[in-house]
Amino acid sequence: MRPARYILFFAMMLFSGSCITEFIPETNENADMLVVEGLITNKAGNNTVKLSKALSLSSKTTGTPYTRCSVIITDDLGNMTPLYEKSNGLYVTDSAFAGVVGREYKLTIRTNNSGASNYTYESVPVKMVPVPPVDTIYYEKQQYNPGSDAFIREGCQVWFDSHDPDNKCHFYRWDYSETWMFQLPYYVPNNICWISANSNVINIKNASILTENRITGYPLIFISPESDRLSIKYSLLLNQYSISEDEFEYWEKLKTITDEVGSLYDVTPSFIPGNVTCIEDPTQDVLGYFSVSAVSSKRMYISGRFRGLAYLYSQCPSDTVNDLNAVADLNWKRWVIESDELVVPPIYILTRIKGCADCTVRGTKDKPLWWDDSK
Amino acid sequence: MRAKLKILFIFLALFYASAAEAQQNIQIGWDYSGMSFTAFAAKAESQDSLRFFYMDEWVSDIRLGEFKGPVLLSDLLDVLFRNKSLFYYIDDSGNVIITMNFAIKITGSEASPGLNFIPSSNYSDQDNQKTSASAYINIGNPADRNKPGNAILTGYITSSDTKEPVAGVTVFNQRLSSGTISNQYGYYSLSMPRGSHQLQFTFVGMKEKMVNINLNGPGEMNIDMNSTLIPLKETVVSADRNLVLKRYEVGAEKINITSFRLLPTSMGESDIIKSVLLLPGVQTVGEGSAGFNVRGGSADQNLILMDGSPLYNTSHFFGFFSAVNSDIIKDVTLYKGGIPSRFGGRISSILDISTREGNLKQFKGNAGISPITTHFVVEGPIKKDTSSFIITARTTYSNWIFKLIDDPDLKKSRAFFYDINAKYTYDINRNNKLDFSGYLSHDSFRFSSDTVYSYDNSILIARWRHFFSSRFLSLVTLNNSNYRYDVSGESGTTEAFILSHRINSTGLKADFNYFLGRNEINFGTDLTWYGVIPGSYKPASDSSIVKSETLAKERALEAALYIDDKFVLNEYVSLNAGIRFSSFFAFGPETLLLYDPEFTKSRSSVTDSVSYSAGHISKLYGGPEFRFSMNFKLSNSSSLKINYNRTRQYLHLLSNSASIAPTDTWKLCDYYLKPQTGDQYALGFYQMLHSRSVEASAEIYYKSIHNMVDYKGGTSLVMNDNIEQSLVDVEGKAYGLELMIKKPEGRVRWSLGYTFSRTFLRSTGKFNDEIINKGKWFPANFDRPNDLVVTFNYLLSRRFSFSTNYTWSTGRPITYPVSSYYTNDIYIIYYSERNKYRIPDYSRLDMSFRFSGSLRSHKLANPNWTFSVFNLLGRQNVYSEYFNNINNKVVGYKLSVFGKAIPSVTLSFDF
Repeated sequence: MRPARYILFFAMMLFSGSCITEFIPETNENADMLVVEGLITNKAGNNTVKLSKALSLSSKTTGTPYTRCSVIITDDLGNMTPLYEKSNGLYVTDSAFAGVVGREYKLTIRTNNSGASNYTYESVPVKMVPVPPVDTIYYEKQQYNPGSDAFIREGCQVWFDSHDPDNKCHFYRWDYSETWMFQLPYYVPNNICWISANSNVINIKNASILTENRITGYPLIFISPESDRLSIKYSLLLNQYSISEDEFEYWEKLKTITDEVGSLYDVTPSFIPGNVTCIEDPTQDVLGYFSVSAVSSKRMYISGRFRGLAYLYSQCPSDTVNDLNAVADLNWKRWVIESDELVVPPIYILTRIKGCADCTVRGTKDKPLWWDDSK
Repeated sequence: MRAKLKILFIFLALFYASAAEAQQNIQIGWDYSGMSFTAFAAKAESQDSLRFFYMDEWVSDIRLGEFKGPVLLSDLLDVLFRNKSLFYYIDDSGNVIITMNFAIKITGSEASPGLNFIPSSNYSDQDNQKTSASAYINIGNPADRNKPGNAILTGYITSSDTKEPVAGVTVFNQRLSSGTISNQYGYYSLSMPRGSHQLQFTFVGMKEKMVNINLNGPGEMNIDMNSTLIPLKETVVSADRNLVLKRYEVGAEKINITSFRLLPTSMGESDIIKSVLLLPGVQTVGEGSAGFNVRGGSADQNLILMDGSPLYNTSHFFGFFSAVNSDIIKDVTLYKGGIPSRFGGRISSILDISTREGNLKQFKGNAGISPITTHFVVEGPIKKDTSSFIITARTTYSNWIFKLIDDPDLKKSRAFFYDINAKYTYDINRNNKLDFSGYLSHDSFRFSSDTVYSYDNSILIARWRHFFSSRFLSLVTLNNSNYRYDVSGESGTTEAFILSHRINSTGLKADFNYFLGRNEINFGTDLTWYGVIPGSYKPASDSSIVKSETLAKERALEAALYIDDKFVLNEYVSLNAGIRFSSFFAFGPETLLLYDPEFTKSRSSVTDSVSYSAGHISKLYGGPEFRFSMNFKLSNSSSLKINYNRTRQYLHLLSNSASIAPTDTWKLCDYYLKPQTGDQYALGFYQMLHSRSVEASAEIYYKSIHNMVDYKGGTSLVMNDNIEQSLVDVEGKAYGLELMIKKPEGRVRWSLGYTFSRTFLRSTGKFNDEIINKGKWFPANFDRPNDLVVTFNYLLSRRFSFSTNYTWSTGRPITYPVSSYYTNDIYIIYYSERNKYRIPDYSRLDMSFRFSGSLRSHKLANPNWTFSVFNLLGRQNVYSEYFNNINNKVVGYKLSVFGKAIPSVTLSFDF
């Protein structure tokens, strides 16, 4: 519906002189706002509030955790549930706690900075709305042609359908977690691993503009053959959330300033306020959202055969030596990916990239408990 | 019979009569009650051995009054010809010679054939100006010559080719250093002491004309002006020598159409908006963006009028081309300040476009092609000298470009536009003129095979010009302007939709223009009825489950009354003071939400709702708008002007992007959305240099704007039913200095303009989400402090012309990211202070060369070639900078729309 970026293409082609050049923006403003990632669901054990500080543009870390805060969830009956800091900046409820559909929840945060000034942050109360189950998740092979080579490559488009016969959930949000099995092409001890990734795009839908509360063919993800997700077996867990209209708007606005850039008609970017504010200093920008939502989940597996998948380990630089002591000066920064010690002299094929010799660099050897070999 | 006598006879008679003394004591002693003039003349010829020389159409509406006894023929004719531009001369032989517009003066002592030459009333073939300059034309009754005080000369100036009135002609009296400019009807009025004067009529694209007059008393003199033979279709207009000194307003810019047509083009299309951008004080957010910014105003604060009717979308291709075909343009004036009180409804500027009228004499046409479009003009008389038509049309055939593209998505894209103008003009008689015109523009785009955009403008106009007398005229305009867009998407899915928006306005305008001595009084009324459908979202197919939703229609009446007086106080001071009282009535049915004043307006702070039924006024706004200008003549070649004007605007374009986007919607003021008001104070100094061929000006202005709106971050304005929840109140201030020096005429024409200007905005809300940049002043999107424009035209010969222009300006402000964060594993960029950084400076050089295939203007299929290079230096001017998350790292991108030099060729033929 927003073809703004196509307009750019129009300009490009019409004038065949449009161009885009990259640069690294440099700003040296100090902005370490509080980031709240709160999610209270109707499932026990899943209820966390993550507090961190925003990153400066030049920083390479993944966010500074905001530690030693007291975090409390209060429902509309006055029940208070304190959260404890499980790890740095990650506050969780008691594993028995689960939100109840129909109840309203409010988040209160009190910082405990030694010496520095402390603030209280509070969210608006959010009501938990029921969510229907996901109907089906399905996929289809799709030709993928990033360049002009004629080599046929196949990616995988995943869609899902959902509907709410009770028409109670008007605003949906989805996230998903991908897990896939991969194998190194060498006979090394850590040869088969599992790796996971979480969705990092905003998936939302407003069903209130539909006559039927039915989502058909929502395009969830396109799995490119350039990853190794499809090489052996792939699994996706889809979580469906029923969010409030306010939260829907919050995500929609974020999506606007995040995704819809690069055209001639960009929305002026700005701060998108969430539902948490600072009590003492309301002018503070508080990032993130305290989300209260029922959740339903569905898992699917793909172990089909795809053509033209990229072979990630084809680029492992390797060398063959006959004596490991001869390369001792590599200071053990070399790994054997193949060896034949029965011949004389013995043959060792070495690599200097650990990931080529050990799958645990990217993943874990532990098969997830839920992994179903039969599917 | 003798009515058929031609002018030639009159000349013969004059020479024949010239030696004789005028004889004016012939008495008429018979009853002529109620006779027509022709019958009277016939009887007088038989009874009194007189001979009358005149043309039938001059006297067709004259009837004689009641006979009350013998009268002198001269007294009788004085009465009959009063308030008409008829004059008579009676010689000794009883020849009564009646002339139109000019009186005959015969002075025996000066009698010589050369001096007695009376130019024809058309002045059509004066190649020798010396001759015409040495002939004196008597104006008024010679008997009044020795009366005290000034006398007023009035008249109409028309183009001899097309018979269209010519506005903006300078009528100048060198000796007195005083003058005037013809108004939009070609009417001029000049007060001078009685006696002999030499008047100069000048106008770019027209031959200069010198006329000697003996001003005896009030009188009328109509002038036809010939166009010069530059091989360009130029009927028209420019700011003229002296004009800049004479105008009252500070900041009114008449576009020189001749130079406009010489300007380099971007894709072979002359574009009026692009030439407006070359004026000091006018800026744009970037190339390829619709709209322009005048003296710190946003793009929706400009009213674009086509023959008095508003045009709601002014661009094709989302801003790459102007929606107004340059073939139809007769005359363009941009009022960036000193807005006359007859205009209103927008606070920053009025772009007043007059369209051409068809040629009353002969059929003519022109057709042309450029890389993107093809266009044609046809015009001609329907009844010669009485009614005419003109049709212009333009369409694109750009789709071939898409087919050449490798990308499969783009291959399926299509873009198309056309526009058509048509006008019918009917001169009912001398005092009444009607015209009907229509305009239609259409754009459609299909992106890939999914989303289709289309938008349409349509305008219908009927105008009636009526002259109550030569000094009191009126123009009544009835118009309807409609704009709509449709966006359809997700076709073939269960969520296929069509999103539409529509604005329709019907306007009735009556403008009256009354010349009274040293006053020119303008008054009138301006009524506009609006109907706006903010948005509708409907299923596009039977299988679509999209819920059909239409936002409540908005209805309102904007009504204004105005009066102003241009008053010449004395030789040095003239002023123009006016008031426009505008009002706005929003009508129901409407449901209004009420909010808790303790909280920001949002869904959760709604406390109640109020409903208004159909026909009830839900909100009323109104107020006076004062307009005042004063012109001090400092010397014969310099003047100083001061100006104040207030403007009010009841219509907003909702747009949260830097430039006007295709899905922006018009919104009427309502209970929450208050009318924008602007106050502008300006001071200008104007100096003519180099024997008046070069004009220099300096203008400064300060402007404050109230009730502007901005939007809460990231808000979607499409299908937004309670827009007040998304609005942020903003006020603005702008100031600037505009320096200009130019030589607008001659073979070599040039201009150099520099503008320093700043525009700041400040949010005035009290809640956190209504505050931008902590409530401090921040630069507006179009705040570009330095702006330099140089243009140069060289008309090498009648067949060749060369034109170039150079623009340099400061880059526009932009919002930069300051930090980033993760939320739910999604990497989000945090933007802080609005418009704190700037994109790089803008610099562009364009050049064009025109070549006419033949000098003979009437040769069939006379080809004109235009070779143009846009952005000759190939500079990659940055249009915008944006930021994206690439592997969880903020990467900035600089986008240039025109990354290299773009050549184009346009070919057109006259036929």
